[in-house]
Amino acid sequence: MAISSLPSVPDVPEKADRKHRKVEPVFWWMTVPTLVVFTLAIPIPAAIGIFYSFTNYIGVGKWHFLGLANYIAMFTDPQIRQSYIFTIGFSLVTVLAVNVISFLLAVGLTARIRAKVALRTVFVIPMVISGIVIAYVFQFLFSNSLPALGQALGVGWLKESMVTNPHLAWVAVVFVTAWQSIPGTLLIYIAGLMSVPEDVYEAADIDGASKFQQMTRITIPLVFSYVVINTILGFKGYLNAYDIIVGLTNGGPGTSTMSVAMNIVNGLTNGDYAYQMANATIFFIFTLIVSLLQLSLMRGRNK
Amino acid sequence: MAALAAVAMIGAGLAGCSSGGRTKLVFAFNKREAVPFMQQVVDDYNKSQDKVNVVMDTSGLNSTAAGFVRGAPADLLLANFNNQAARYVNQCAVTDLSDTDAAKRVRPDVKALVDGVGKCPGRTSAVPYSIMAAGVIYNKDIFAKYNLQVPKTYDQLLSVSKTLKSNGVAPFFGTFYDGWTVSQGWFDYAAGGSLDLKSFFQSIEKDGANVGPNSSVSYEKDFLEPMNKMMTLAKDYTNPDANSKIYGDGNTAMANGKAAMYLQGPWAFSEISKTNPKANLGTFPLPMTDNPKDLKTAVNVDLGAMIPEQSKHQAEARDFMNYLFQPKIINAYNASQLGFGPLKDSAPETDPRVAGLRPYYEKGKIYAGPSYVIPQAIPIPQLAQSIVLGADPKDVLSTIDADWARFARRQ
Repeated sequence: MAISSLPSVPDVPEKADRKHRKVEPVFWWMTVPTLVVFTLAIPIPAAIGIFYSFTNYIGVGKWHFLGLANYIAMFTDPQIRQSYIFTIGFSLVTVLAVNVISFLLAVGLTARIRAKVALRTVFVIPMVISGIVIAYVFQFLFSNSLPALGQALGVGWLKESMVTNPHLAWVAVVFVTAWQSIPGTLLIYIAGLMSVPEDVYEAADIDGASKFQQMTRITIPLVFSYVVINTILGFKGYLNAYDIIVGLTNGGPGTSTMSVAMNIVNGLTNGDYAYQMANATIFFIFTLIVSLLQLSLMRGRNK
Repeated sequence: MAALAAVAMIGAGLAGCSSGGRTKLVFAFNKREAVPFMQQVVDDYNKSQDKVNVVMDTSGLNSTAAGFVRGAPADLLLANFNNQAARYVNQCAVTDLSDTDAAKRVRPDVKALVDGVGKCPGRTSAVPYSIMAAGVIYNKDIFAKYNLQVPKTYDQLLSVSKTLKSNGVAPFFGTFYDGWTVSQGWFDYAAGGSLDLKSFFQSIEKDGANVGPNSSVSYEKDFLEPMNKMMTLAKDYTNPDANSKIYGDGNTAMANGKAAMYLQGPWAFSEISKTNPKANLGTFPLPMTDNPKDLKTAVNVDLGAMIPEQSKHQAEARDFMNYLFQPKIINAYNASQLGFGPLKDSAPETDPRVAGLRPYYEKGKIYAGPSYVIPQAIPIPQLAQSIVLGADPKDVLSTIDADWARFARRQ
């Protein structure tokens, strides 16, 4: 949704005969199958899910209408409340951390340095590894390697595993998610920085602008639309956090790192289908509002 | 169009029944430790006749659940009969098996156990295949080295633990990183060893939506003392790194004699013996009171056979089910997995490692662990884990009460 609205489509000249123009058959060939598959895969199941959120359906067998009981129960459920707080907080922190680190890395990797291409390749490697694999590897590192290191060096706070501390486990989740998603963000920033023409900097040099002024007055304003893309894409992705958390903490310790998406998926297997469909409906409305807010903010800037 | 064709093909693939003239029968079985055994049984069955081709689906309960939702579940389920599988039974989504030969051979007390987990009125929905009795796994060599007897009361258990600790041996090996090991072992044994769970669950199910601080029974009221006793053991008498250890670590540690006791079911033995087949291990029920007569063993219906109503191959599924329940096969299965046979004609379990629990199973001094009975919508593994990691048991138990009432309100 966010991407498609970004490139400003050149205005098609208004023509009186537009209605009568014959539509290319290839248009139908491209849109109809996509539309059919999209409808089958997204809106229809979503509508079915929303329907069942007003019932006590468990995914199989008989069911009856409950009215708003699922929604009322949901708003008093501390576990669901905690999953929203965790998911939103985690998304905000991760978006911030990923964007700051990626931007700084991108600045470094577009500067005149040696082995630029080789370094970029190294930094992009995490992107091609599956999230669940990364999560299990880091789970091992956090619960075995780091405490062993703490033991050997006599560092007290390292001895206890970060992922088993209810107050710190979320930091581990942010760390691993950032580790995996920095490359993608980094690539977009590199593209953005390379699109800034050299002569702007030459002019700034002649005018006596310092490197810091060049960064804040030229680079950041010129690549700002890339910051917007990365923020929107990142935030939307982190709200749906699932695989890394499953592999790293499985929502624990306790329920401290249980994300909204995990609760919804668990509902299907735990016989709480209808209840978690109510959760999914609320979550859908929430992400819709967030996306619309972000879109309107972006439009406001472009104008 | 191409996409439509693809969708149609996927549909056809799901409904596809025949492979080379033989009916394809999907058999869901996901007990990891026993997959090689069961694969052999399936291969033998496929060779023994030419009408049906049984395909084993080991992808787990989640895909079984998804199969039910899609209307295309496996044709025969041989699955852990817990609160999750019970939903299919309670919703009468599986067929009546009361007229099968296997159902008629089930021990009455085991049938009561199955019905306690889930029931569709008037039907025999699930036929038990394997019963697991779980208790404390202990290292006999370590006990002998320090002249320790198997404890029969909570005080004896504490003094055994103190002796071990003062000799530098970890009394219990905790694997608290895996929440299910906490709920299956610590939480279930502590509650089951202290309370009459059968009457507790009867009362709390009746109270339903009214469960809370003022109800006659509640988790907060009845489970608090067992949880406090559990915490004494978990806090003072486990390995110092219990919080970051997982199930696999626990099995390796027990294989190498790194701790004296381990709260796991008999399924852990096959994992332990991969590391050390000679580990000298035994079992006993976790004592939680001061009266040896209160000793009971946790049991669960590790496998039960069910045939979904939605299956289009009812007769074939029953035929394969009868094949599985032949004494030769079911006895060999239970012997290989240290399970107890649920049938009147079952061979007795003779493995010395579970001998410490056998008398309790045979005398019917058994209970179904709360983590198998409480609906899975309440995340007991996570909540039990938060207790052993330091949350106040009273707070966590009142959360369970609130979850219980909330769950009852939306049924």
